[in-house]
Amino acid sequence: MPTPRVILSEAMALEVGGKEPWPSDVKLYQPYEVEQILLPDNANCLATQAFLKMSKLQYTVEPRSNAEFMSPSGKVPFIQCGAFVVSELEPIVSFVASKGVSLTNDLDNGEKADMRAYMSLISNVLATAELFITWCDAQTYKQVTKPRYGSVFPWPLNHLLCWQKRSSVTKRLHVLGWANKTLDDVFHEVDQCCQALSERLGPKNYFFGDKPTELDALVFGHLFTVLTTPLPNNKLAATIRGYRTLVDLCKRIEHEYFELPTST
Amino acid sequence: MGTVQAKEAPRNPIDISGLNNRRSENSPKADSKKNAPSNKQAQPTYPAAKFKTVRARVDKVNIEGLSRTKDDIIIESIQPLFSAGDFVEVLKQAHEIRERLVGLGCFNNVRIYIDTSSGKAATPDGLEVTFHVSEMRRLTGAINTLFGSNNEGSVALSMRLPNLMGRGERIQAECSYGNRRTSNYNFGFVKPLRGRSNAFFTTSVFQHFTEQPASGYKEIDRGLLFDLAFTSAPLVRHNLQWETTWRDLSVLNRTTAFEIREMSGPSLKGSLRHILSVDRRDQAIFPRSGTLWRITTEYAGIGGNVNFLKNEAQFQANIPLSNDVVFQATLHGGMLKSIGNTKPPSLCDHFFLGGPLSLRGFESRGVGPQAGRNALGASTYWAGGLHLYSPLPFIKPGGFADLFRAHLFLNAGNIGNFEFTDDYNHNLEVLGQNMRLAYGLGIAMKLGDIARVELNYCLPHMYQRTDAINKGLQFGIGFDFL
Repeated sequence: MPTPRVILSEAMALEVGGKEPWPSDVKLYQPYEVEQILLPDNANCLATQAFLKMSKLQYTVEPRSNAEFMSPSGKVPFIQCGAFVVSELEPIVSFVASKGVSLTNDLDNGEKADMRAYMSLISNVLATAELFITWCDAQTYKQVTKPRYGSVFPWPLNHLLCWQKRSSVTKRLHVLGWANKTLDDVFHEVDQCCQALSERLGPKNYFFGDKPTELDALVFGHLFTVLTTPLPNNKLAATIRGYRTLVDLCKRIEHEYFELPTST
Repeated sequence: MGTVQAKEAPRNPIDISGLNNRRSENSPKADSKKNAPSNKQAQPTYPAAKFKTVRARVDKVNIEGLSRTKDDIIIESIQPLFSAGDFVEVLKQAHEIRERLVGLGCFNNVRIYIDTSSGKAATPDGLEVTFHVSEMRRLTGAINTLFGSNNEGSVALSMRLPNLMGRGERIQAECSYGNRRTSNYNFGFVKPLRGRSNAFFTTSVFQHFTEQPASGYKEIDRGLLFDLAFTSAPLVRHNLQWETTWRDLSVLNRTTAFEIREMSGPSLKGSLRHILSVDRRDQAIFPRSGTLWRITTEYAGIGGNVNFLKNEAQFQANIPLSNDVVFQATLHGGMLKSIGNTKPPSLCDHFFLGGPLSLRGFESRGVGPQAGRNALGASTYWAGGLHLYSPLPFIKPGGFADLFRAHLFLNAGNIGNFEFTDDYNHNLEVLGQNMRLAYGLGIAMKLGDIARVELNYCLPHMYQRTDAINKGLQFGIGFDFL
């Protein structure tokens, strides 16, 4: 049990540690990309990587089979920066901001609120849809999710842990009211979300003018992952492809920040 | 399964964890025909000179009080009685059979009556032995107090269906909660096997939860254990175990070192284990004489993703110096080797050293490699101790004072990921390098026949800068002390 004194000193350490500049040995932990990672996790990892690249912060990717279990919040990715371990995009954004680096300095308060609203739209709709397809669509679960998620565990843990994860995701979808949706409902939700995003983007290069923000990173992470991940049911990717400007945004960010050959 | 637990259950010779087999040390009390054994020794003594010449033959054995229990196991148990040739042998055999019957776990109480035989078939030297047994009820329950190896006390609720099919089979369920948030659930089936080796077969499903604040992690173990316990020679007890455990390690709090975090996550261990224990001590708590050997060998790599070979040995010798003063020497040691080029053994397989039950004068897990302030454990350790026990000075012995001992100790040990070579001298040098040593004195108290409580004043003498030392008073409660 941490005593109150310890908590206080931790908070002080965070304060003091936060003032130090970005070290060069920051590591980003995520599951293995080729054989293990799943659609929702990959989206979050890519979004975080895009954010770090946009902020011009150095990091190295450390693939670990137990990344999910190492993470303080149980979600990937997380970064290790000195003594600090921070997981998921939004906490990482505020951690980076505490080091004096921010992509939203030029935005006024109204735009910042807008950006947060769109970010939560993506986590509420796109991320949930990815979870739904990955864990609740029987075909995808059987053909993709189960073999990939279980690939790092020995029998019978692969079945057991997969089942455990599935029930926890299903429980979460129940809370969000998504559990009883059909695939078509989900595609419809995604379509509406993309509609809103493309309206906000308009003809601009990025959501807020010429410079990218964390919203661009998040959109890129999710859309690019969906577009490039082969699934038994590729209707999700098809829905997104209907929005040219969003696909172009993904290509632009990929070209600008990730010099990888594109597969779309 | 790291915990060795002792509990107050004298009629239960097999702990379901399979790690701890205490012989029931109670000497028979209700035996009217026997000379009362001197209460200082567990084994009954007989005025042999008087009886050895008395020829005797058992004509008849009666068992009274049987209802559910099947005849065949009883008949088999009492067979040796018919081969006895003199009266001393009859007494000895009767005593052994009583132990066996109690050990079956079917009876609350077994009493022996020996009489000269009468009737037509009676022979001149004939005896008639009668066992009065009272069978247990179909369902029993208990609340016990346990003392683990973690300096922790816990409360256990247990339920048992004894003598299920009439041959000593039982189903037992147990759960326990400790004051350091340890919890255990255990469900098992035990079956005594026939034959003279006093064998028991145990199957159990378990879940253990432990927190290790000194190492900054918590662990949930869920598993399946098959255990075969048998005796190969008097007092030589074997346990052959096959265990499959799903271990889930997770980080305890935010201050946990990253090295510990890296090892979190699930793993599956499938292992074969052999435990050999030779307990020639006169009693488990405050022994006066005799030795104890316990050698554990574990091979992990049968299924699962954990591969290692783990050897651990414990030795204890007790030498009475005078009537009351006992000198005790102990030596523990262990080695863990990974097999092949698989990933190294996990944190929870490592050895740890330090603490009131281990190396006194140091905090629990306070010795050895660390990350941040979390103990990482290591692959090799040794620890030894020299003790001197005497009754409390200035207090009249007998009664309450017999529960206490004054205790003078010197213990030393070392732990690390040592690299061994073929050079024997080099290896010894490695083991001795940076040795830790502490000495002190204190009071030890016996808590029933199940645990020992120690309050010591410790003076660490040799230690490393990174060690967590405990200078001054140290309190320990447990069963297996160094």
